[in-house]
Amino acid sequence: MTCTYHRQTITEDGQLLLKKAENDQVETVWDRYRSQLPQCGYCELGLSCRNCVMGPCRVDPFGEGPQRGVCGADADIIVARNLCRMIAAGAASHSDHGRDLVEVLAGVAAGKAPGYTIRDVEKLRSVAVEYGIEISGKDTLVIAGELAYAMQEDYGTRTAALTLLKRAPAKRRELWKNVGITPRGIDRETSEMMHRTHMGVDNGWQSLLLQGLRNALSDGWGGSLIASEVSDILFGTPTPRPASVNVGVLKKDQVNIVVHGHNPVVSEMILLAATSSEMKQLAEAAGAKGVNLAGVCCTGNELLMRHGIPMAGNHLMTELILSTGAVDMMIVDYQCIMPSLGQVASCYHTRMISTSDKARFPGMEHREFHPENAEELAEQLVREAIENFGRRGRVYVPVEPVQSLGGFSVESIVAALGGSAAPLIEAIKSGKIRGAAGIVGCNNPKILHDHGHVTLARRLVENDILVVDTGCAAIATAKAGLKMPESIRFAGPGLKEVCGALGIPPVLHLGSCVDNVRILVLASALANALNVDLSDLPIAGAAPEWYSEKAVSIAAYFVASGVYTVLGPMPPIAGSMNVVKLLTEGLKDVVGAVFAVEPDPGAAAILIRRHVEDRRKALGLDFRV
Amino acid sequence: MNQVIVHPERCVGCMQCMAACATAHSRSHTLLAAIREVPLPKPRIHVGSGRYAEGFPNRCRHCNPAPCMLACLPGAIYRHPETGTVLIDSDRCINCASCAMACPFGVIRYHEDSAAPPRKTVAVKCDNCLERQALGLVPACVEACKTGALTFEPAAQALKRRTDQVARSVSAGAEPAEGAPGFTLLNTIKNSLIALQEAAH
Repeated sequence: MTCTYHRQTITEDGQLLLKKAENDQVETVWDRYRSQLPQCGYCELGLSCRNCVMGPCRVDPFGEGPQRGVCGADADIIVARNLCRMIAAGAASHSDHGRDLVEVLAGVAAGKAPGYTIRDVEKLRSVAVEYGIEISGKDTLVIAGELAYAMQEDYGTRTAALTLLKRAPAKRRELWKNVGITPRGIDRETSEMMHRTHMGVDNGWQSLLLQGLRNALSDGWGGSLIASEVSDILFGTPTPRPASVNVGVLKKDQVNIVVHGHNPVVSEMILLAATSSEMKQLAEAAGAKGVNLAGVCCTGNELLMRHGIPMAGNHLMTELILSTGAVDMMIVDYQCIMPSLGQVASCYHTRMISTSDKARFPGMEHREFHPENAEELAEQLVREAIENFGRRGRVYVPVEPVQSLGGFSVESIVAALGGSAAPLIEAIKSGKIRGAAGIVGCNNPKILHDHGHVTLARRLVENDILVVDTGCAAIATAKAGLKMPESIRFAGPGLKEVCGALGIPPVLHLGSCVDNVRILVLASALANALNVDLSDLPIAGAAPEWYSEKAVSIAAYFVASGVYTVLGPMPPIAGSMNVVKLLTEGLKDVVGAVFAVEPDPGAAAILIRRHVEDRRKALGLDFRV
Repeated sequence: MNQVIVHPERCVGCMQCMAACATAHSRSHTLLAAIREVPLPKPRIHVGSGRYAEGFPNRCRHCNPAPCMLACLPGAIYRHPETGTVLIDSDRCINCASCAMACPFGVIRYHEDSAAPPRKTVAVKCDNCLERQALGLVPACVEACKTGALTFEPAAQALKRRTDQVARSVSAGAEPAEGAPGFTLLNTIKNSLIALQEAAH
């Protein structure tokens, strides 16, 4: 077979492990993608509808076959309904993740979550104040209980606007109100979205898409924001700390436990157990030098941000990491966990554990975590992982890890700037930093693995645009060595000077995919300081390798918040040029920002640079043409 | 005489023709029952994936002269005189694969089939749905195709349409050729994805 690994991933560990996986006859996501080709064009165009059983229906894009579904919905309605359901699923995922954290917060307050505690009391108090909770003279746990209750109210139907919307610039809130997309309850918007896309409800493709934006905002300024804030309260607000990344973080002579998924509720407890001296002794007794905890995907990002726990890889690496034969146990919670993993693990000694009552996987052992049993169960699982160390076969860890600096929360960025955002604003005003871009999102076998993220980040920093990133994008740039203070060598002269003086990398790791809200909060602080709207700032968003419904929701709340956003892969909307035009042009007049689609990261960088310079011009700052 | 004509530029790769074909060649003739039959019915039309991951419906051309027919030693392959359809007599087929080697389009498969003697692997390919045609139905793949990538019409009519299309496109002040802008946009993006993969090396 001809060697095509370099056509699948730009990463060295990925290429070497693809070869290993092929030798071991392990089927990967790339194999399955190839066997899906050609993919259904109706679905790619968004022109198939399975919402009711008068159908399923599809519309002929060439105009000769059926132009309406059985109910009468045309291409515009079908495409809008389908896209909106993607947003609803994405918003539901982030928001349900947030809800689980709020439940732990409530559990801590009630004394029913042993092992969990309030690590950032300061943040608890400040968020409680934002929620209008009287904190003076109150015990921390009482505040925690009241905050959990107030946040749960945000999920319901009793409020006219989500509490944390107040962090957005006043102009933006006014715009949302005028357009009629101020998000009310977090669950309410998802629920209404599903209602509106039921047959015979909302058949205005424009009004559907507006509700789509409101639903996305209920994620960005609701569910995700709560997830991020409560994670900080429970597990600590991230501060900059080094971590090593890529598959080289797996240790041949240690018990390797990999956590995969999204919610720190599970991974934090595993961390607590894995780092105890008792477990170290047990590991030594089993012939290992210790217990090595590593992460993949976003729960890995959560641990990296707060504790500097090493990161083994991102979405497309999750199968390959198992093919090292070095993983003694993989513990998963939910989201982005390929159902193929159990099958891959069956080729090795790896034990696969699923932990969430809402997420089961073939070939995994289900050991359910709840706030009450988490501490105890985590310890038990680490013990079992240590026992499994002795069952290892041949181990292949082909690379050395790369160093990376993570842990940039809004608070720690402001601290790195010397206590206020003023130096950053100054650097933008003076033009040393032209603007900032958030690179977010997933991996997708349709895009050369990590190429989109790394190329875009490189092109932007070269042009003095500060990059903040999250999720699988953040892991990609870390592996590519863009996240060390000395990585300023990749930056243009202005950005190099500013980052050099502050001792920070030109690409800042802001966390997991729910942490995209940190980008919005930071941008809002800048907008407030300049007394402008978010859409006036020289900033942009990009999702060069996105695949998931969550990414659709993120992109939609970025745009609805006024941030120009460039997608790599095409969303399934091309079946309606009306929808395409609205999203890429028309929204400019509605929310002051639009989507763009550009699979070539080099060209995407040009689009972002043009946008940034255009915003600078509008702000009266110097601009380049 | 009507025949199945392929217009590959209209294929969206949904593979509904394959499911319809397999169902049409099942015992039950219904999708839900067909997927539980033994032997499992298989399609005679196969959607391939092109260089840009675009679909291409590949089916028997019923060539004349037919290389498969010339290659068939037991004489199992013959031509239906009224329609010109090339057919395989599964009783005479010896499963030697000579026809597949001779076929320039790779449309002959070997498997058990409900129309063949039980437990005998035989050569199977498109039969132009003669059974359906006898009932006044169009071939199953054509019926399933909603984009017009497969049509059932006299060749002369399809060629006339094509000729007119070309003629209109060269008229003075001609409008751009009709098409599907969304499909073109999607294909542009898909093409650039592939081009990027290739350019990266």
